[in-house]
Amino acid sequence: MTRARGWVGTYAALIRNAWLVDLQYRAAIGLWLLWGITEPAIALGIWWAIASGGPVGGYARADFARYFFALMLVNQLTIAWDSWYLDRWIREGDLNFRLARPLNPIHESIADNIAYKARSGGVILVLWLLVALVWPAVRLSFDPARWALTALAVLLAGAMRFFISFTTGLLAFWTTRASAVMELHAGLALFLAGRVAPLSLLPPALASVAGVLWFRGMISFPVELLTGAVHGASQIQRGFAEQMVWLGLWFAAYRLAWSRGVRQYGAVGG
Amino acid sequence: MRCVDAIDSPLVAPVILAEKLSKTFRVKVREPGLAGAVSALVRPRYRDVHAVRDVSFAIAPGEIVAFLGPNGAGKTTTLKMLTGLLYPSGGRVEVTGFTPWTGGSPFKRRIALVLGNRQQLAWDLPAEETFQLNRAIYDIPDAAYRERLAELVALLGLAEVLDKPVRQLSLGERMKCELAAALLHRPAILFLDEPTLGLDVTAQDAIRRFLAEYRDRHGATILLTSHYMQDVTALALRVLIINRGRLLYDGLLGALVARIARVKRIELVLGVGVTAEALGRFGTVRSFRSPNAVLEVPREEAAATSARVLAALPVADLSIQDPPIEEVIRQAFAEGSEAET
Repeated sequence: MTRARGWVGTYAALIRNAWLVDLQYRAAIGLWLLWGITEPAIALGIWWAIASGGPVGGYARADFARYFFALMLVNQLTIAWDSWYLDRWIREGDLNFRLARPLNPIHESIADNIAYKARSGGVILVLWLLVALVWPAVRLSFDPARWALTALAVLLAGAMRFFISFTTGLLAFWTTRASAVMELHAGLALFLAGRVAPLSLLPPALASVAGVLWFRGMISFPVELLTGAVHGASQIQRGFAEQMVWLGLWFAAYRLAWSRGVRQYGAVGG
Repeated sequence: MRCVDAIDSPLVAPVILAEKLSKTFRVKVREPGLAGAVSALVRPRYRDVHAVRDVSFAIAPGEIVAFLGPNGAGKTTTLKMLTGLLYPSGGRVEVTGFTPWTGGSPFKRRIALVLGNRQQLAWDLPAEETFQLNRAIYDIPDAAYRERLAELVALLGLAEVLDKPVRQLSLGERMKCELAAALLHRPAILFLDEPTLGLDVTAQDAIRRFLAEYRDRHGATILLTSHYMQDVTALALRVLIINRGRLLYDGLLGALVARIARVKRIELVLGVGVTAEALGRFGTVRSFRSPNAVLEVPREEAAATSARVLAALPVADLSIQDPPIEEVIRQAFAEGSEAET
C-alpha cells in the first residue's frame, strides 16, 4: 500500500513537472498540435478530392472524413517522441543524473507521455466535438462497447509506440546515428500505419507487410475499430492479438537494449 | 610512484572500497579525410583506452577526500564507477556495503552525485519544483522535507532564489540549488565532480564553507574532484592523485608536500638598498620586486638560512612557506609520468 502510494506520488510529481514545463513552451506546444491536425487534414483534403466521383476502395467522402478525424485523435493519443530525448540524454550525458536517482529513467518518459497525451488528446477531442456539431460526416454512432474496445486498442497502441520509440532511442548507446533509424521507422510508419491512407487502399503487398509487422497495431487498428471498419469478433480478436504480441516483443526488445546498453554506457561528460 | 602516506587502513570499516578497479573503453579509430571515413565504414578498427588501471583505495565514514589529476586522468571515470553509472572492466567496488551497479534503489538513496557541468534542475522552472520532484522520487516524508529544505536554504542562502526560474540564476546560485536538490534525501556519501567549476571566488568560497559545515553536521563522506587547489586545501586532508588511469598517491596533503617539495620559500619584505645579487648569496631568488622578494632554499636549511638573512640584510618581514600546492601537484604528476615511462 505504501509502495503504491509512493508510485502514485512519484508519477503525480513527474506529470506535474511535465505540465509546468509545457506551460513555459505554449507556442511550441501549439505548433506541434497544429502539425498533428494539419497532416491528417491535408490527407483528408486529397482523398476528399479523389473520392469526388464516388467511393474509392469502399471509402466514400464521409468515410474518409471519419477515418482521418479518428486518425487525428488516435495519433495524438499514441504518438511518442521518446527516441529523440533518449538519443540526447545518452549522447550528451544527461542520462547521468537520471541513472544516479532511485528511479528508472523510463518512468520519467512514461509520465511525460501521459502528460502530453492527456493535454493533446483532450484538445483534439474537443475540436472533433465542435466540428461534429456543424459537420455530420464526422459524427460517430454511439456504441459504448466499440468505444471501450477502441480505448483498449489505443492503450495498447500507445504502449507499443512508446516502447518502439524508447528502444530505438536506446540505440544511441551503440551508435551516434540512432536518429537515422528513427527517421527510417517514422517514414515507414507514415505509409504502413495508415497515416496517409487507410491500409485497405494500399497495394496488397504493402498492406500485408503492414499487417504482418507491428505497423497496423500502431494506429490503423484502433482507427478501424473506432470508425467501424473492422467487423466481426474474430477480426477484432486478431487485431488485439497482433497488438499484444508486438507489444510483448517490443517490451522484450526494450528490456534487452536497456540491460545491455547501460552496461556499455560511456557516461559522456562530467 | 605509488605512495601511501599515513592513511592506508582506516580503523573503522570503509564506506568506499575500491580494489584493483579498472575501466577500459573500446574506441573506434578513424583516419582523417574521406578515405579514412570510408575505410572505417568498411573495416572498422578499434583500440583499447585504459581509462582506469588497478586503482585501489578505502575511504572511512566522514572523510573528505579530494581526487586530483589532469584532464583525462581517470578521476571522473572512477567517480562514475563508484556511483554505478559505469560498469568497470575489472576489480571490485563496495560503497556503503553495496556494489554500485547492482545496488539499485537502496544504494542510490544513500548517495548523491553532483556533476559540475551537468544539471538535474529543470531549466525553465524554479528550483523548488525540482526539490518537490526529488521529494517524491526519494519518498521523503513531509516533515523531514520541510526541515531539510529549511536547513539547506539557510546554509546556502537560497531564500531569495527559490522561486526564480533556474535559467535566470547565476552559475553560483545554480550550483547551490544543485547541491540542495542532491542533499534533500540526506545521503551518506556525496560524490562531487568539479563542484566549483566556473564559479567566482565568492561563490567558490560559499560552496566550500557549506560542504565543510554539512559534513560536520551530518557526518557525510565526501569525495570530490576539482581543478581548484583552494577546494582541496580548504576541504580535504587527504588526496588521491591519479594520472593516466593509475593511482600515484593516496595520503595526507601535508605529507605529499613534504615528500615532493624539497624546497621551502622564504617570503621577504626587504629594507632599502638590498639587491637581488645580495639576496642570491643565500639561495635561489624566485622573484624580486623591491621591497618584496621570494627566496627558495633546501627544505632542511630553511630555518638556518632565514636566520642568516635576518642577520645580514635589513628585513621588515619574513615568512617561510611551502611552494604553492599547484606546483607540488604538478610535480607529483610529472614524477608519476616519468616513473611510468
